[in-house]
Amino acid sequence: MAAPDFQMGDESGTYRRIFRLQLLALAPVTVAATVNTGYQYLAALAENPAIAGDGLRDNLVSALGADYRNPWLFDYFAAGLAFLLPVFALALLVGGFWERVIGERRQRPIEPGFIPAALLFTLLMPGAAGFVHVAFGMSFAILLGKGIFGGDGKRFLNPALVGVAIVQVSFPGATDSHPLWQGLAGYAGSDAIALFHRGGETALAGAGIDAWSAFAGGIPGQMGTASLLAVSLGAALLLYHRVIAWRLLAAQLIGLALVATVYNLSGAGGAASMSAWWHLLLGSFAFGAVFLACDPMASCCTNPGRWIQGLLIGGLVVLIRVANPTHPDAVIPVMLLASISAPLIDHAAMAWNIRRRARRGV
Amino acid sequence: MPGSIGPESKTASRVALLGRDYRGINFELLCNEGDEVRAGEALMCDVRRPRIRFNAPAAGRVARIERGARRRLVSVQIEVDEGLGVVEFEVPGSGERGSLRDFMLESGAWSSLRTRPFGKIPDPDAEPAAIFVSALDAQPLAPDPRPIIDAHGDEFAAALDALAGICAAPLYLCHAPGDAPVRTGDKIRCVAFDGGHSAGLPGVHINALCPIGFGGGEVWQLGYQDVIALGYLLLHATPWLRRVISLGGKSIRNSRDLMVMPGASIEELLAGEPIDTQTQILAGSEIYGRPVERSSFLQAGQRQLTAVDIGGMESKTWGRAGSGAVVPGDRLEAAAPPGIFPVPLMRALQLGDAERARELGALELLEEDVRPLSHACASNNDYASLLRDVLDRLDVAR
Repeated sequence: MAAPDFQMGDESGTYRRIFRLQLLALAPVTVAATVNTGYQYLAALAENPAIAGDGLRDNLVSALGADYRNPWLFDYFAAGLAFLLPVFALALLVGGFWERVIGERRQRPIEPGFIPAALLFTLLMPGAAGFVHVAFGMSFAILLGKGIFGGDGKRFLNPALVGVAIVQVSFPGATDSHPLWQGLAGYAGSDAIALFHRGGETALAGAGIDAWSAFAGGIPGQMGTASLLAVSLGAALLLYHRVIAWRLLAAQLIGLALVATVYNLSGAGGAASMSAWWHLLLGSFAFGAVFLACDPMASCCTNPGRWIQGLLIGGLVVLIRVANPTHPDAVIPVMLLASISAPLIDHAAMAWNIRRRARRGV
Repeated sequence: MPGSIGPESKTASRVALLGRDYRGINFELLCNEGDEVRAGEALMCDVRRPRIRFNAPAAGRVARIERGARRRLVSVQIEVDEGLGVVEFEVPGSGERGSLRDFMLESGAWSSLRTRPFGKIPDPDAEPAAIFVSALDAQPLAPDPRPIIDAHGDEFAAALDALAGICAAPLYLCHAPGDAPVRTGDKIRCVAFDGGHSAGLPGVHINALCPIGFGGGEVWQLGYQDVIALGYLLLHATPWLRRVISLGGKSIRNSRDLMVMPGASIEELLAGEPIDTQTQILAGSEIYGRPVERSSFLQAGQRQLTAVDIGGMESKTWGRAGSGAVVPGDRLEAAAPPGIFPVPLMRALQLGDAERARELGALELLEEDVRPLSHACASNNDYASLLRDVLDRLDVAR
C-alpha cells in the first residue's frame, strides 16, 4: 500500500510567493503579446499606411522608432510596447488607487494582488482597447472582484476575470470599426472561430491563419492570448511549483477534447467540425485555462471538484462556441460561471466524502 | 551503526512523566515531593478510572511536582538513583483476558495505548474494533524499527500474543515491505506499508485497514517500543527502562540513534551539541514533530528528537505572521492525511466548527496527522492545536 508523500523545505504557498510566480509565468506570455501586437499593428500599417491613427499610442510607436517599412523584431517589440505599456500602466494605476482606498478604509496594508491582476487584465485586452474602458474594467476588477469580499484569501472570483467580463458585456462592439485592428470581435478577442464557423479551415487560411502561426502566436486577438507556446511555458512553471492544480488543468483539456470529438463525430458543419486542436489554438481558451480557471483562490478546492469543474469548463467552451456562432470565444463567461459554481461543486464533493464516511462500520 | 553493539547508551540524571501526554485525565498523585520510588512504582492514577496507573520511568527521588495553569499537572520529575531498585510484578498465566488487562493496568503498560478517535487512554473495560501496532517508521531521520524489534524478538512476540488476547478484535501489525517481524497468526494480521514519510503513521494504517466513521466505535494504537516494553514486563516481570530514540537535524553534529531512559531530560540529551537561539527542538521529526522547550523531557512514545535551524527560514509554524487565509493547492493535498479533503477541513478547524470537522474526518485524526498541513499552509495556523480543541469538544459532546 502506498501513502502520499510530503517533502519538507518546499516552502509554503504564501500569497507573495504565488503572485511572484504568477508574474514570472506571465513573462513569456507578455513577451509574445508585445511582439504579436506590434506585428499586427505594423502589418496593417504596411498594407495601408493611410489608416495610421493619431492617438497617444500611435504617436508612441513612431516615437519609439518602430518602422512599418521593412520591420524587424525590434520594430515589432517597440510597437507592441507602445500598446501594452500604456494599458498596463493605466490598469496598475487604477488598480493601485482602489487598493489604496480599500486599504485606508479597512486600516490594512495594500495587498500586492492587484499587480498580477492588472497584468492579467492587460493581456486580456485587445490592442485597440480604449483607456476609459480599461479604467472602467479595472475598477470593477478590484472593487467587485476582490475588494468587497475582503481581499485575497477571501475572494472567490479572479479579479481580472471579473473586470474583463464587465468590459465585454458593457462594450460588446467597441473596437469593431477600427481599421487598424482587423480580425477582432470587439473585446471578446479574435474572430477566428467565427471565421472557421463560416468557412472552415479554408477561411482561416484565407485570413492567413495556420496552425503554426496560431501556436507561436501570430494571429489577431486579445494581446496575451495568441501564443499557445508562451502559455504552455507559463503553465509548466506554475505546475512545477505546484501553484495550480494539475487535475484542474488536465480536466479542462479532457473536457475540451471530449466535447469537440463528439461534435466532430456528429458530422455537422461549421464550428462543429472544428477539431479539439483548433479549439485549443484559437481564442483565449489556453490562456484562460491556465491563468484564470486555475486561480487557486477562485476554483474548487477538492480533488473530485477539480475534475468536475475542469470537465465543465472544457465542455462548455466548445458547446457555446459551436451552438452559438454569434459568440466567438465563450471563454470568459464560461470561466466566470465555473468560478461561481466552484463552491457548489465542492459542496457536492464534500457530501459524497461525508456519505462514504458515514457508511463505515467503526 | 554496527548492529551487534547497538545504539550508544546515554543515561539521564533526571526523568519525568509529562501530564500533557495523557489527554483529558485528572491525575491523583500517589507520591509526594521528596519520596523515594522504585522504577515501575505507581506515581499517579486517573481520578475517574483509578485502575489506570502511571508508573515511575526510573528509580529515584521525586524531585519536583510541577503544576501549571489551574493546577493542571505539568510534570512529575524524578532525580534518578538506580540503586533504589525495580518493582517486580506478578505475571499472569496466559489466556486469561481479564487478568492480562489487570496486569497491563497494574504495570502501567495500559497507559501507552491510545484510542482513535480522540487519542486518549482507553477505558479498562472497553472493546476496540481493532488494535494497531506500527512497526515501521518512515519519517526523516527516524530510527529503523527493525533492528530494535529483532534485538527484542522474544519480548515483541510475547507482547503481541498478549495484546491479541485482551480483546476479540484483530490485531494489525503494520510493517515495512519485506518479511514481517513475527509470524501471522489467527488474530495477528501483518500488513506491509510502503510510500512516503507518512507510511509509518498509525493514521494511515487505520485509514487503510479499519477506517473510522460515525459509528461511535474506537480502535487502539500503540508504538513498537511500547510493545517491546509490554513484552519485557511479561517475560522479565520488571519494566523496560530503556527506549531508543534518534537524535538528528541540521544543528546536531552527527545524527545517531541513542539508547535512553524514557522521559529523559532533553537538556542532558543535547549536551555538547552546537545549539543556539536559532535552533528549534522538535519532539518527533521535522515534518510531524511538535516544538518543545529545551528544559522539557521526552514525551511518552517519542522516538525522535530533531533540532532544526530556523534562522532565515521562511516558515510560518515557528513565527512570521501569515495572512490567516488558506490558499488551496496541490501542496496541501500532498500534505493531507489519506481520504481527507484538506482545505474544507482546515477551514472548519479554523472556524472551530466541530460538527463540520467531524463530518470531514476529524475523528480519524490526531495531532501528528495534521502537522504537515501547518507547514504547507501560509495562514500561520497550528492545525494540531486547533484539531485538539475540536476533538476535546466532540469528546465532551459524546
